[in-house]
Amino acid sequence: MLLDQLASVLLNTEFYVAIVRMTTPLLLAAMGSILAERAGVVTFSMEAMMLMGTIGGIIGSGVTNNVWMGVLLAMIFGMIIGLIYAVVAVSIGSHQIVTSVGLNLGALGLSAVLYALTFTRGGEIIQTVIKVPSLPFWKVPLLGDIPFLGPVFFNHLPMVYLGYLIVPLVWFILFKTTWGLKVRAVGEHPHAADTVGISVAKVRYAALLFAGALNGLSGAYISIGMLNSYMENMTAGRGFIAYTAIVFGKWQPINVALGTLLFGAADALQLRVLALNIGIPYQFLVMFPYVVTMIALISVVGRASWPAASGLPFKREEG
Amino acid sequence: MKTESKLRTIWREYLERSFTITIPVLAILSAFAISGLIILAWGSSPFAAYGALFSGAFGSPAAIATTLQRMTPLIFTGLAVAYGYRGGFFNIGAEGQLYMGAIASVWCAITFPTLPSIVLIPLCVLASAFMGMMWVLLPAYLKSRRGINEVLTTLLMNYIAIQYFEWLVRVDHIQEGITLFGGEIPKWTFINWIGIKDATQPHPKTALLVETSFMPSLKSLFEGKLFTSLFGGTAFYQELLSTPAFGRITLAPFLGLLAVILIYFIMFKTTTGYRSRAVGINPEAARFMGINVKNTLFTTALISGTLAGLAGGMEVLGTQHRMIPNFLVNAGFDGIPVALIGQLHPVGAFLSATFFGALRAGANKMQVITSVPVAVVYIIQSLAIVFAISGTTVDIGSTLKKKRIARETDEKKKLMAVEGEVSNAS
Repeated sequence: MLLDQLASVLLNTEFYVAIVRMTTPLLLAAMGSILAERAGVVTFSMEAMMLMGTIGGIIGSGVTNNVWMGVLLAMIFGMIIGLIYAVVAVSIGSHQIVTSVGLNLGALGLSAVLYALTFTRGGEIIQTVIKVPSLPFWKVPLLGDIPFLGPVFFNHLPMVYLGYLIVPLVWFILFKTTWGLKVRAVGEHPHAADTVGISVAKVRYAALLFAGALNGLSGAYISIGMLNSYMENMTAGRGFIAYTAIVFGKWQPINVALGTLLFGAADALQLRVLALNIGIPYQFLVMFPYVVTMIALISVVGRASWPAASGLPFKREEG
Repeated sequence: MKTESKLRTIWREYLERSFTITIPVLAILSAFAISGLIILAWGSSPFAAYGALFSGAFGSPAAIATTLQRMTPLIFTGLAVAYGYRGGFFNIGAEGQLYMGAIASVWCAITFPTLPSIVLIPLCVLASAFMGMMWVLLPAYLKSRRGINEVLTTLLMNYIAIQYFEWLVRVDHIQEGITLFGGEIPKWTFINWIGIKDATQPHPKTALLVETSFMPSLKSLFEGKLFTSLFGGTAFYQELLSTPAFGRITLAPFLGLLAVILIYFIMFKTTTGYRSRAVGINPEAARFMGINVKNTLFTTALISGTLAGLAGGMEVLGTQHRMIPNFLVNAGFDGIPVALIGQLHPVGAFLSATFFGALRAGANKMQVITSVPVAVVYIIQSLAIVFAISGTTVDIGSTLKKKRIARETDEKKKLMAVEGEVSNAS
């Protein structure tokens, strides 16, 4: 009986579609932040960038009536948070996690205020969210018609395809380009990097702007793509989950992608198991990936994996 | 010459002190100023909005009672973060420890409902403290023995705690398939009490706790024999008792104040606190001074977790008297800004907890009167923390701080009579 029900979940194509759909925001966010993490900046502020992305998507799409302007504005909003974070954490050198906590709180407030500013006047809603244009589904010709694989992989929102491409792209940037080498040098030994003429601040700024753009995109995927509406705090901690996935994947793009897949699959499974009403309480399923990560931290990740200069502001020694 | 140098030290200390107070105050003022621009964009007067905010926080006895309620958990989580941070253990997990503390105190009150107040309340408080400590045990072990970054482990423990809490509150355990103990579930088990849900309430809630577990209010204390015999006749006393809000002010904020004093004492007047701060400034140097860095980190983490657990207990016993989903939104995470704006000092944490509590208490009135959304309060808090941390960082470079650290080290050197070099770990 139970096995039958489980089988009905696992054999259903919809389940695998949901996995891809739930993994994408985490994947985009984690891939965006991995460079900044590698450059030695703790991206605990991903939640803030994603939140601004959700509101940017809604506003851009709603005001211009063009969904792609929404995507653009989401990326810009994300980059603004990235820039603010860079100024405070890189230039001033403030404690990165404390700054992030502040920014996360601020983005929560700012997104709600911006939403109210754009769509209400004196408490009256002038434009309902339902009218905001949302992202179209793109079906890949030919590939989309393959049974099972077609609907699971090739009939999605555009960001999903970007998700497929971003993993090899980030891997390539990180390990095969000069810029990637600079990023890793800055994250492992900023003083040595500085000595050979790499501008630590410049690399970190660039990495954070990249992180802001992709996290904003991820936010837009949630607001004008996946859920197609707006509510307060709609990322619901996905920024922290993506951050966890980065550590879980030991800062290796491919492992990180697998980490986001784990969290995405758990997300997809929760909803289906809830409908089935089998013995495992819903809350324990939500808990499951965190427990797995905790075990992974204890057994595999350990201490050595952290980029050496992670979280440390860089100050050139005087004299 | 000696007197002159002493005068100079006093002057320096005064300057230094004024600096640590100036930065957060300036940060808060600029946060209000910039948020004022947002309120202007909204189309309201910032002065009217802030006026409403202030009167919603302090304008009436009822408002003050609400502010006190809101600030109590923040005092504890703020202290938790401040103590941990000073000792090199950055406790992001106050949220989870707080939830576990709340669960423990609810469990305690439901399991021992027949005990008299004088025993039950301290027992519940202790239970919450113990559970908070237990919840930081694993991250503390991993940090101190294995060197695993505590930020991520405590964050993960948060999610586990919150989901566990959700499960306890939402699932009706007795009616659905609990078959342990042959269906006869003893009263002392976890399973028994979590089965009790209050069906009359719109949201899933546990049943209201027994009244003997309620934190006594000032009113009930003042009605005691001692006070009646002392002030019974005075008009002021009668008026005080007839104010309804007075019954809502419980002992909890005062216990918070007590905790502030206690942590101040531990932090600055005991070797435990001194060791912990030395490890926080520079673990290497602390090791050279003969401090057991691992044990010290472990102790620091446990103290931090205990304080965060107490926050949950205080909220349950003092305010909610039951468990409700999301009943303490972000009080644990808010401990971080509270501690940092409070300059990582117990008294500072108390002041900034007051500030945060007042903002949260006054926000609703601001929305009702001037239609400025509550969310503006988040922006004010956010700007305050970013400015305060930036201000403090810039200040680290200043000579004042370096001098203070050198002076502190000197003092401690004399105190410990141990030679060692503590350098500024910035």
